Amino acid sequence: MSDLEYPSDLRYTAEHEWVRSAEGDTVRIGITSFAQDALGDVVYVSLPAVGDTVAVGDACGEVESTKSVSDLYAPLAGEVTAVNASLDATPELVNTDPYGEGWMYEMRPSDSSAVDGLLDVEAYQQQLS
Amino acid sequence: MTDLLHSPVHDRHVALGAKMADFGGWEMPIEYPGGGVVAEHTSVRERVGLFDVSHLGKARVSGRAGDVSAVDFVNACLTNDLRRIGPGQAQYTMCCQDDGGVVDDLIAYVRSDEDVFLIPNAANTTAVVELLRAAAPEGIEVENLHDAYAVFAVQGPRSDEVLTSLGLPVDHDYMSFAETEWEGQPVIVCRTGYTGERGYELVPTWGAAAGLWDALASAVADQGGMPAGLGARDTLRTEMGYPLHGNDLSTEITPVMAGAAWAVGWDKDTFWGKEALAEQRAAKTSRLNRGLVVTGRGIPRAHCSVLKDGEVVGEVTSGTFSPTRKEGIALAQLERSVAVGDEVVIDVRGREVPATVTKPPFVEVGVRES
Repeated sequence: MSDLEYPSDLRYTAEHEWVRSAEGDTVRIGITSFAQDALGDVVYVSLPAVGDTVAVGDACGEVESTKSVSDLYAPLAGEVTAVNASLDATPELVNTDPYGEGWMYEMRPSDSSAVDGLLDVEAYQQQLS
Repeated sequence: MTDLLHSPVHDRHVALGAKMADFGGWEMPIEYPGGGVVAEHTSVRERVGLFDVSHLGKARVSGRAGDVSAVDFVNACLTNDLRRIGPGQAQYTMCCQDDGGVVDDLIAYVRSDEDVFLIPNAANTTAVVELLRAAAPEGIEVENLHDAYAVFAVQGPRSDEVLTSLGLPVDHDYMSFAETEWEGQPVIVCRTGYTGERGYELVPTWGAAAGLWDALASAVADQGGMPAGLGARDTLRTEMGYPLHGNDLSTEITPVMAGAAWAVGWDKDTFWGKEALAEQRAAKTSRLNRGLVVTGRGIPRAHCSVLKDGEVVGEVTSGTFSPTRKEGIALAQLERSVAVGDEVVIDVRGREVPATVTKPPFVEVGVRES
């Protein structure tokens, strides 16, 4: 769908997550515009806990819509450093602002260069089409 | 997907950019852009929504075999007592197996003693028609009219304004219907629905359906409403505790277990499954349908286990997020030892979600108001 956006400064995964290099040595993670549109109205988000250590591909949370539930997969290995607590009360931020207020969690990757191995915007959009 | 069937207004859904999915072999809209399940649900509760439910089956039982009219014949097969209603009235009923399992739940519309129109579920229409046809005596005809008619539902407190603007009748009682014409084409206007709101289900002929849809869509928009998909239909019916066949009623879940014993004519001489159902009703040992309201965080889904004091006491049959209550709700089959008001735990994919046992519906609505 043409009205869905994919910012060029983000990295992406095949599981429709985005990764943004944040302050210092951490990255911020959320789900893409495509993912929130496919899910429909997001009504519940379950996130990992701050301090959790995750490996690449770990199911570390869930995003639930009126219709279905999807696992959140860790795009990188590392330690969870922050979670978006506002999604508890306003999970619809995932639909209205998936790359901004609807972010999910932050982590400190165990390998700081691993983020470069993720898909860039062209590669992500290519696998959508 | 292989050769899904399409409603006569499929092209309207495609033009609107609806998300489509397979419902009983029919490719039907789940939700529309600019709406979404929550907005479409709220539109029906507060204003009005327009649903295409043309995937629903349509069948007709007609004729007479000596003293046995079409009504008599249907009454000897399906659970509810058709003698409780007369021509122009509709009734919720079930088609059961001999063991009491439910082949389908459906609405029967009595047009006359010799003419009964049935609306079964899409996926079960063939089974219901075949069972009736096999049992029908000479002189009684059973027709599968699945693609002879469309079905559109106009649901919500402003439904009357929508129908009135098209010149369609609105002054009939809940569970009754009027046979009329719209632009020279026959249409049945039933005061029925699956949302709990005041509303109507319209049955036009297949060929005349597209024009009626366009007129209804325009009138619904004038009332501040919108087209609503089958996603919202499911959250609306779950809030009402209306059973969905395949989830809350099935060949394993009988009318006694589903809390649908009210739709069984226990005094009738005969109907399919009578003996088994009467036995189960008297034994009072089967699980029963209950409501669950989540008190913690999370959304129960079908087949989640329900536990009390660490013991499994039942299973969720339908679960969703209630857009009206803004919390998780579920219908479940629970042991009789569990009472309304009890605190239980739902196992949602390994996470323990606390919930309170209730009696549906989960919302207060005005479906029966005159």
